[in-house]
Amino acid sequence: MDRRGIETAVAENAQFRGLFGVVGGLLAILAALGNAAWGPLRHNWVFVVGVIVLAGLTWPIHAFYTDRFGRATPSVKHRARVAVVVLVAVPLVILGSLWLSSRASWSLDLPVNTTAITLGLVFLLSIAAAVGLRLHHVVIYGGLVIVGALPVWERGGESGNTGLWLAGIAMIISGLLDHRLLVRRFGPAGTGIGADRAGV
Amino acid sequence: MPESDEGFLLDRLIHEPGRLAILTVLSSVADADFVFLQRTTGLTKGNLSSHLTKLEDAGLVTVEKRFVRKKPNTNVALTKDGAERVARHWDQLERLRSLSQANPETLP
Repeated sequence: MDRRGIETAVAENAQFRGLFGVVGGLLAILAALGNAAWGPLRHNWVFVVGVIVLAGLTWPIHAFYTDRFGRATPSVKHRARVAVVVLVAVPLVILGSLWLSSRASWSLDLPVNTTAITLGLVFLLSIAAAVGLRLHHVVIYGGLVIVGALPVWERGGESGNTGLWLAGIAMIISGLLDHRLLVRRFGPAGTGIGADRAGV
Repeated sequence: MPESDEGFLLDRLIHEPGRLAILTVLSSVADADFVFLQRTTGLTKGNLSSHLTKLEDAGLVTVEKRFVRKKPNTNVALTKDGAERVARHWDQLERLRSLSQANPETLP
């Protein structure tokens, strides 16, 4: 029996509930469409309704995961670690992105997509702190950072919106892969999957 | 009942793989429900239920039965004693592992 294997299984069962990430990705895309005043989203109230609908979707997703995979309250240690990431790493990443592309005299003023870079780094850091990165996280969010860092973006305006689009698509793909990993590893008995799970 | 052998205390109640897995899961979270424990340890319902009864009788876990969204829900948490004993047990296993890697002939 491997202690680390069991602790990893706990983190994966609690954190790889990827359908929440799909909703987050849809929210990012909705925000991008709203910024672009696309179709009915030129009205602010349509965006608000969209947000409410997406928020409403999280309830059946929560019920689905709780019924099938159970519920655990994170330990104080885990919550403290996530709080440190939010309070320290996220502001650092945002300041870094401003340093890269702001037009202030102190910045590098590079033609990069800071929205894509910032969101990619925030996801990489938060997943690394919460459960540990898997290959698909590195590929998807690392790819988001790399695409954003290519010096081909126009400054401001549409560039930031495209970053939101890319982040939304990345969240959806990553969420679906997280969900697949969760079901394969911890799926209910009798489905032919998940038989080799956990550390027992 | 703990068993002593040349300084190593192996707690037989905890050393059973299913119970050690349950206690290790619970030591990683504040509390967890029955389904979470079942999915994460891979134990069957019957096995998990039986182990939980033994652990509760020994005072290592608390089991709270309640209703969540009108469905019965069993919530489990480690007691202070349970947390100390599972941590001590893993320390002992690590010591044994280190010792066996350093010099296999000195093992009891």
